[in-house]
This record gives sequence, C-alpha cells and structure tokens, in this order.
Amino acid sequence: MSYKLVKFENKITGVQHTADNGLITHIPFDPANTDYQEYLEWVAEGNTPEEEE
Amino acid sequence: MASIKLKGDTSGEVTIQAPSVAGTNTLTLPATSSTLATQNSLGVRNLIINGDMRINQRGNYSTTVNGTGVFYSVDRWLGRGKASAGVFNILANSSLGEQPDRFTNHVVLDVTTASTPTSNDSYSFQQFIEGYNISKLNWGTSAAKSITLSFWAKSTLTGTFGGSVANGDYNRFNPFSYTISAANTWEYKTVTITGDTSGSWSTTNGNSMRVIFSIGAGSGRLGTAGTWTSSVLEGVTGQTNHIATNGSNLRITGVQIEEGTSATPFEHLQFGQQLALCQRYYEKSYDINTAPATNATKGLELVAGTIDANQNFYQTVRFAVPKRANPSINFYKSDGTANTWRYDRSGASNQSGTPSVGDNGDSSFYMRIPSTGATWVVATMSGQWTANAEL
Repeated sequence: MSYKLVKFENKITGVQHTADNGLITHIPFDPANTDYQEYLEWVAEGNTPEEEE
Repeated sequence: MASIKLKGDTSGEVTIQAPSVAGTNTLTLPATSSTLATQNSLGVRNLIINGDMRINQRGNYSTTVNGTGVFYSVDRWLGRGKASAGVFNILANSSLGEQPDRFTNHVVLDVTTASTPTSNDSYSFQQFIEGYNISKLNWGTSAAKSITLSFWAKSTLTGTFGGSVANGDYNRFNPFSYTISAANTWEYKTVTITGDTSGSWSTTNGNSMRVIFSIGAGSGRLGTAGTWTSSVLEGVTGQTNHIATNGSNLRITGVQIEEGTSATPFEHLQFGQQLALCQRYYEKSYDINTAPATNATKGLELVAGTIDANQNFYQTVRFAVPKRANPSINFYKSDGTANTWRYDRSGASNQSGTPSVGDNGDSSFYMRIPSTGATWVVATMSGQWTANAEL
C-alpha cells in the first residue's frame, strides 16, 4: 500500500493510493472524502507520500 | 355503510367512513401531539436509501466481510467485521418466491465462519446517512424528534436480536432490540428511537447517522436498549449472535427510518428515483447491470483530440448526478484491466496509458493520459471509470 502526490501543470491536485492488490484510486483533497480522511490519518501516523516526478 | 361526519364551526366537514365489506381497517394516530397530515406522511418519508436493496451498481452479489474495514454490498449498504475470526457474506437475493410481499430483493447475511464474539468484537450490516437528509430531526438539540425504524427480517435462528443507531462521529449510541418468533419466516419489525438531545449530528454533507444491524458482538459492544450513551454499543445485551453459528443467516429488506413514533408502509420509490439517490454516493460509466472491471464496451468514454506539447492527452468527464463530496476515481480499460485506458494515435494503436486525475469536483473530473510518445498529433482515448463519494 502506498500514496503518491499527483501534479498537474506544476500544481499538486490530489493523491494516488495504490492498494495491495495494485488498484490505483485517485483521491481529491476534499475533507469530506473518506479516502482523503484515511490518507490524512496515514500521514498523521508519520508516513510520507511519494512525489510525482 | 356507517360514517361519522365532523362539521366545522362555520364551514367545511370531514367524513370518516367505514367500508360496507367484511374486514377491519385501522387509522393509527401519532402517539405524540402533532398533525397527522404533516407529521410524516407527506413527501419523501424514508431517510434510508435503497432500503429495498434493489440497486446494486457495484454488482456485488456476494460480498465477503472478513475485516474491520468497510465492505460495500448493494448500494449504500456495507458490512463490517473482524479479521481472522468470524466471517459472513452479504448475498444480494432477487429470487422469485423468496421475498416478503411487495418486495423483489433482499440481502442475506450468511455466516460462513463462526466465531463466538468476545469483548469488543462486532459484526454488522450498516448504512450511513448524510447530515442533509436528517437535519430536520434536530438531533443534538432539545427539539430532537423521535424516529421509527421498520424492516422485514427472516432468520434461521429465533430469539432476541439487536442493533444500534449511532452518530457519524461514533460517540453517541442507542441500541435497539427486536424479536424473531419463528425461524425461516418473514416478520415485520418496528422500533421507535427517541431523538438524541446531545452529541454532534452533522446537518450538512458529512456522515451523520449510522444504522447498525448487529450480526454479533462481544459484551463490550452490547448495552441496554433505548438508552443514549457515549459508549460504543452496536447491539443489545442478551442478543443472539448469528456469527456464533456457522451456516446461520439473517435476511433483511424494506428498511425504513422515518420521523415520528409510528411506522408507515414502506415507501416504494420508482427505480430511477432510487438509482439517482444512490448515484450521489457512487456512480460508474458502465451500464447499470454491468459490474466494474468487467470486459464491456457499453458506457465507454471515448474522446478524440490532440496530444499536447508535453505528450499529455486530456479529457473532462461529467457525472450524471452531482456527488456528496469530490469523489475518488478508479479507471478501467474496456477489457476490464484496472488502472489503464486505451489510446490510439498515428503510429501507435491500442496502447495502454495510466490515467491520472487533475481537478476533481462534485460534478466532473479532469483527467489525462501522460507519456503518449508524441506531440501535437491527433489521438483518441477510451475507458471506463467509477466515482466513489460514500460516507
């Protein structure tokens, strides 16, 4: 399981979650989105997402 | 034919008339002071979406609940359990002759691995309700209204069973109980729950209310019916736990929650209405009866355009129904392969690209396929998507 920040035109617009089964979920930066809430919890645990090159 | 006529002081009258045929009809008035015509009988009554289990956009006909996460089944309904212990399947049933009267679908909560729950174990079937849809109940204030839960249940086991109504923040709970008298027989159940005058209950687009049917729980998750508490309770003390009996099952449909202290008949919405309500939380490009990630061309987004100077190909996709929140997106190629779409350009046909999402709103999303290997050439791209804005 991993997270990667997504950059569009030099602006970070969301984060990609890759599950253990390989499924990529594109998550917006919306506090009401439950996947984003899980991402924030993951970051709060001390984890850091990859950055898109 | 007998009748009673009530005349107004100056004009107007109301006639209550009994039929001239055999049989008894009952007009049930609310237990509390209110006006019958406006308390809960006008407009949309049911706060539950897809209470008759008819909508199944994910095509999840058998959902295995074997973890503490969220396992979606038919639209808006989910299972929660425990890893490496009891396991149950949520089966979507539409078989003729197996439904209660006036219904065509139900779910079967079928225990496949038994476990006797202890301490804080909990296994359940739930629906989360958005704050906008229950704001009229005034919960969390002194003016909180009572609600009545009604549903049809059929169980291989008899006895007392339980559940709970909780808030989205998961710190207000009110267990309820119901009795199954006869095994393998559909029974209609109603439970009235006093409105919560405390706690935090979202009145906007957040998770405001959890309606929980317990499949089994340890003593740490069981409490007294009809009492609000901040302790995490998902069932009622003394309940029979289906999860403790391998092969047992509980069938449920016709779930309705409405304002007031009495249950009215299930509100049968038209299929299109119910589908649109579900699509506020989950939508897909596929046909309604096609499960995501299957080989399908119907529903494909197909766009023709030009690859830009950075080898990117862009497209905007609009939703049929605006979402509760900006949704999470998954992509699939027409053959069902996850994470990819197809693109075709001069000199490179039927290529697979990995899409990513840019600006993502509640009504549309903006996507691209990068690294197409060319610049400023005409191309097409196509694929399927799902959008998830569940609570």
